[in-house]
Amino acid sequence: MNLQDAAIAANRFGLGARPGQIRTIASDPRGWLKAQLTPETTPPAPIAALPRTEAATEAFNTWLKSIGLTAANATGLYEKSSGVASMGAGARMGAPGLPPGVSIEQSFIRTLGPGYAQAVQARMQVAISTERPYFERLVRFWGNHFTVSGSKPNAFPIVGIVERDVVRSRCTGRFHDMLLASCKHPGMLIYLDNYVSIGPNSVIAKNPGVLPPFLREILKGLNENLGREILELHTLGVRSGYTQADVTSLAKVITGWMVRQREGQDRTESNSGADASSMFIFRSAAHEPGPQSVLGKTYAQTGLAQGEAALTDIARHPSTARFLATKLVRHFISDEPPPSAVERIAKVFRDTEGDLLAVSVALVDTPEAWDAGLQKFKPPEDYLTSALRALNGKPELSGQQLIALLSRMGQRPFYAPGPNGWADTGGEWIGPDAIWKRVEWADALAKGVADAKIDPSLIAQEALGPSLTPSTLHAIKLAESPAQGLALFLTAPEFQRR
Amino acid sequence: MSFSHLNRRGVIAAGLASAALPRIAFASGLTDKRLVIVLLRGAMDGLTAAPAFGDPDYERARNGIGTPRPGDGDGAALDLNGFFGLYPALRGMHARYSKGELVVFHAIASPYRDRSHFDGQNLLENGSAAPFGLADGWANRALEGLPDAMKSGRKDLGIAIAASMPLMMRGAAPVTSWSPSILPAPNVDLVARIKAMYDVGDPVLAKALSAAADANGAAAGSGQGSDAFAVLMGAAARFMKAPDGPCLAMVESAGWDTHANQLGAFGVLSRNLAGLDQGIDALADGLGAKWSDTAVLIMTEFGRTVAMNGTRGTDHGTAGAAFLVGGAVKGGRVIADWPGLRPGDLYAGRDLKPTADLRSLMKAMLVEHLGVDSGHVERVVFPDSQGAPMTTGLFRT
Repeated sequence: MNLQDAAIAANRFGLGARPGQIRTIASDPRGWLKAQLTPETTPPAPIAALPRTEAATEAFNTWLKSIGLTAANATGLYEKSSGVASMGAGARMGAPGLPPGVSIEQSFIRTLGPGYAQAVQARMQVAISTERPYFERLVRFWGNHFTVSGSKPNAFPIVGIVERDVVRSRCTGRFHDMLLASCKHPGMLIYLDNYVSIGPNSVIAKNPGVLPPFLREILKGLNENLGREILELHTLGVRSGYTQADVTSLAKVITGWMVRQREGQDRTESNSGADASSMFIFRSAAHEPGPQSVLGKTYAQTGLAQGEAALTDIARHPSTARFLATKLVRHFISDEPPPSAVERIAKVFRDTEGDLLAVSVALVDTPEAWDAGLQKFKPPEDYLTSALRALNGKPELSGQQLIALLSRMGQRPFYAPGPNGWADTGGEWIGPDAIWKRVEWADALAKGVADAKIDPSLIAQEALGPSLTPSTLHAIKLAESPAQGLALFLTAPEFQRR
Repeated sequence: MSFSHLNRRGVIAAGLASAALPRIAFASGLTDKRLVIVLLRGAMDGLTAAPAFGDPDYERARNGIGTPRPGDGDGAALDLNGFFGLYPALRGMHARYSKGELVVFHAIASPYRDRSHFDGQNLLENGSAAPFGLADGWANRALEGLPDAMKSGRKDLGIAIAASMPLMMRGAAPVTSWSPSILPAPNVDLVARIKAMYDVGDPVLAKALSAAADANGAAAGSGQGSDAFAVLMGAAARFMKAPDGPCLAMVESAGWDTHANQLGAFGVLSRNLAGLDQGIDALADGLGAKWSDTAVLIMTEFGRTVAMNGTRGTDHGTAGAAFLVGGAVKGGRVIADWPGLRPGDLYAGRDLKPTADLRSLMKAMLVEHLGVDSGHVERVVFPDSQGAPMTTGLFRT
């Protein structure tokens, strides 16, 4: 029995202990974590019930059409808008198909908002009830690594399914498989603009007449956004030695990696490489012809194979191993990743050519991870998840309630501020305002759930085990009411940290 | 131990009358100034915000996204000096230029020369010459160097209007943060008990909670429940207007990374610039008479490509535009060593070439506006900035 390690396993690697869990896993905390790392064949029911990739991808254009707009005359709606609001002033303009008195923004939220709320609630339901919390943490980690943010309106209907489509079945597989799946997912292709990027010497660039008119307006030239972020954020990491020329070359290599258009086949579309169940399509007429040099290696392949070869190499690059190891250690162990732990994880990544199962096991076997000091501060989503787990899933919150709550705390779900995803250090999350929002919420929640029968000190002991300090326990016991005691538990340092 | 506000003014007036005022006494007399820093995250396209329509290569170089010259139809630029203009959505800013409250800087950049937003912002916020070169923010370090007279009596020297503390504001000097909320304020007794719990062993949380409790007292009545930029600027005004309010505020605006379809009726850049303009008006209105003591710096991590990309947007570039606006600013000027837009003039063949360093202007607003000791600015606030001498004469005296 090791209650201290059990608390670390449940809280630092997991999503927070449920009542009784720390005792249950105390005989073998490490074994409990490793046993969670089996491939997922079928997603949990609430996730599986989310819309199919095709439906989610088409939802934006279907909505546009329903209000009488087309891709060409509503181009501004595609772009990221400022702040957390989904759209700004431009969206308050009219559209021919809108009912009287309804703005574009209202129509957008009414039509596409329910799907978003469903995805947010599904994710929380699974996080609360899962028997595999370490696996779910890895899903969140990789989902954040390959961020697709709803801040871009035409990606908004897709954000809730990206983790299911890209991450869940691959986060115990090979990293290059996940990278390729991300780069072929309509969410990423739209979010980082690759769906409209064409090679400067492609068939389409030389002869736009081959395109149907609705595409001629959209496909104009090269866009290096995805190419850059693959190198900077998804694989090698910034300042790892690649150049602007590498960015441009990689952007050319992945020209033609696009999203199937609902309007159906046109003469430039080809199905080679398209997964029948996905919305990915390789459009050879948009692909930049000829060999490209990326990171000193020339890729002479034609078509889709060129990008697949380049991305597979980049995924296995030593800089990628180091970058990902640093991120993983920072996420699970400390804001200041111990170099020894980073090197250990990077070596496993290199030796196994990016086997994420081996990497995830190695994290559990990293000695620094079992230090009793609480070195990580929970971001709002994980904080709220752990609170609801400690309270046995009560209260049940709707998708809308979760969105409102997490937005106030600074982490609107699936809405990271940029393609680098949510920040992963305490400094980013511990500001006066962020702490205040947690206090406000803990106060409101405690008043809502606490009745005379609950025992907040017992809830705290069950959730924190040996991590609960005597002084916090004392403060909870001295509370003027069970509600106040519960609020003290929810705001306690050892509950906000892990 | 410090003079009252009125007494200090009296001292200055007497000193000026005798024409023998030592430099140091003058600096410490700049007591009641306010500085607002607006960080546009995502890289604003400076050639759209402030078009150089007078450059014979402007229209060709922008290949389709150039702003038409003044008088040339609906979307035409607002003229500044016959060479530079402002994007038409910046109507309020244009009026402030005419009133002598706005300086436009062009072909200006931080020392960062690569094209990562996150590194670029990190450098711009940490104040060193390298991404992650320092772990705290230059604005916070600047506040540590404020004259004692300005520090005394102020609980918070600075405020970030943001849900989490931006790097630029992090550090040892007392600063706070605030953003709109819609939940009822928690019970005072509960807050005291939580504070007692944090005092036992978590000074970081204790400090954050105290600051938040103070800020929420001060923000009562702020525009709650909205995060539009103008609302945030209005809130900044409310905090800064108080005689003992923070003398520096940082306000963030996100969404400037316009890779596609940046202009036009729905264009995100057009919309952002209109929001920026409204935000400056909201700040000025909210500050009232205090506006005359205020300077606002509007900056971004880098510029964007001169030419339009394949998707009617622009990609990451190098130099761009910055604005210094406020009642305390000696404006009505464009300051630029214009590098030109011919292919050979461009940085790396694609970007506006930087000919000015943002730190030159930041130094001026710290030293000549807020009264921060210049030695502290050179050594501590912006180390490794010898190549960026302070721009003088930007403020009314």
